[in-house]
Amino acid sequence: MSELQLSDVRKSYGNFEVIKGVDLDIKTGEFVVFVGPSGCGKSTLLRMIAGLEEITSGDLTIDDERMNDVDPSKRGIAMVFQSYALYPHMTVRENMGFALRFAGVPKAEIEQRVGEAAIILELGPLLDRKPKQLSGGQRQRVAIGRAIVRHPKIFLFDEPLSNLDAELRVHMRIEIARLHKKLATTIVYVTHDQVEAMTLADKIVVMRNGVVEQVGSPLDLYDDPANLFVAGFIGSPKMNFLKGIVDAGGTQVRLPDFGNATIPVAIKGATPGSSVTIGIRPEHFGDSGSASLDLTIDMLEHLGGETFAYARHGDGELIIIETKNGRGLKSGDSIAARFDPAAVLVFDADGRRLR
Amino acid sequence: MNNGSARIATAIVTYGFVGLMAFLSIFPFVWMLLGATNSSIDIIKGKMLPGSALATNIATFFTQVNAPLVFWNSAKIAILATALTLAVSSLAGYGFEMFRSRHRDRIYSALLLTMMIPFAALMIPLFIMMGKAGLINTHLAVVLPTIGSAFIVFYFRQCTKAFPSELRDAAKVDGLKEWQIFLYIYVPVMRSTYAAAFIIVFMTAWNNYLWPLIVLQSNETKTITLVVSSLASAYYPDYGVVMVGTILATLPTLAVFFFMQRQFVQGMLGSVK
Repeated sequence: MSELQLSDVRKSYGNFEVIKGVDLDIKTGEFVVFVGPSGCGKSTLLRMIAGLEEITSGDLTIDDERMNDVDPSKRGIAMVFQSYALYPHMTVRENMGFALRFAGVPKAEIEQRVGEAAIILELGPLLDRKPKQLSGGQRQRVAIGRAIVRHPKIFLFDEPLSNLDAELRVHMRIEIARLHKKLATTIVYVTHDQVEAMTLADKIVVMRNGVVEQVGSPLDLYDDPANLFVAGFIGSPKMNFLKGIVDAGGTQVRLPDFGNATIPVAIKGATPGSSVTIGIRPEHFGDSGSASLDLTIDMLEHLGGETFAYARHGDGELIIIETKNGRGLKSGDSIAARFDPAAVLVFDADGRRLR
Repeated sequence: MNNGSARIATAIVTYGFVGLMAFLSIFPFVWMLLGATNSSIDIIKGKMLPGSALATNIATFFTQVNAPLVFWNSAKIAILATALTLAVSSLAGYGFEMFRSRHRDRIYSALLLTMMIPFAALMIPLFIMMGKAGLINTHLAVVLPTIGSAFIVFYFRQCTKAFPSELRDAAKVDGLKEWQIFLYIYVPVMRSTYAAAFIIVFMTAWNNYLWPLIVLQSNETKTITLVVSSLASAYYPDYGVVMVGTILATLPTLAVFFFMQRQFVQGMLGSVK
């Protein structure tokens, strides 16, 4: 049974459509991440699920019950906001118990639930403090605690880690993953950070301009993107894109910007002479492989464990190469960046994947 | 001129100007305090030293004026006007900021335009309205026209812009209705804004003179400002007594400002923490 289902869900502000027909099934216990660039509609879609934005058309069902016009508090959801949205005049304890108080839950039960959440999130010593007396990470834990005490069917997270520093973000990411494992509740999580998406999600929903571009597991999206946008968005550093032309036999792609180097790739249905884009992930370059590009290193980033080399052919576009053996490289070095043609992805002129 | 001399010259000019401004602000207050201790003749002569007539002036004031009644009248009007103005104007400010509508900005502009209408132009229509409602010579006639204050609505709306919209969203998810969000979240979060507005409205209501002068016609309904003014406009005004009345009339507003000045400053700077 699908717990949360979106069927042709749309949202318009006047004549301007921001969500353009989303279909999605989210199963019980799944950790689903909406990811996409700013303005793609991911937060709007989350707010529509929460009931904070009206749904212009389409159906939202939770446990087979249509929820389009149901009050947010009666949808069985709890939401964690980017700015934490803790009530500043209440203590941590009051913040966490506030929704239950309004739902008419007996005081003893509120105490019990708040106590349980405080143990899970290690908030015990902070219960009588006000939000302004807490650090960013502690506030975020309180915001999560406020959601937990409601025992929701679905947790909604709207970019919850954006306001934290890099170190705390990594820590909280692990906390959220641990929490999901422990509670086994459905989580819908919005982020623009694809690293968060890759590390947390069971299923990633990549969005652009109000449209779902692709849905799949993190590694499926990484290995098998449906289009140029997904290929470029998932993965850090980004996939390299090279402009090419399909040769007469349709079995090779010629790269005019790289000294007419040819890559042997079989592309079904490609018209000879047509323009394509080939994608190669930075880590797919190495010392072996039947294809190669002649490049000159422009700049190097040594991260200790690995090195990112930014190289180009002549005055062409920068290519990022990730290597474990890059400590001996220098700017200005000429290299033959080798790769296995089987690792290459090919996209047509409209950005669709050719397989 | 070297740097040190320039700094000293700047300091002299700055402190001189600030000192002059402070003197101009404090002088009427000091004069009022000194005047209360002197007889009317000494005040007219311009005596600027403490005198020995304070007890006499106080006794005369309390003989001539039914102080408990006029203070009660002023307090009743000021407290009622403040409470109603804050309630109505904060609701309006919240509504103007939170609810989107095609006509919102037009209505808001029209409201702001009403600030440009001088009170003198409104007095006669208001008096006729109050007369028709049978409210002449009642305190309600003083209170009612002050409630819909365009300035306080404007003030609340501007301050509401700093109210985090995510708090409202969180409250909705927590199951609160709009009026509950206003009451349980907005009001406590915006308490500094309310404190600043309280001081402004309370002082305006307490010091209100022209409109009460028109609608309050019997001695039983008059406020402290009207009574002090009537003392000053007698054929032979006793300025010492007038000064005592003025001090007593000033005390509540001073107390309100003294106790709420921190919140007032916070409210003026932006109250959401």
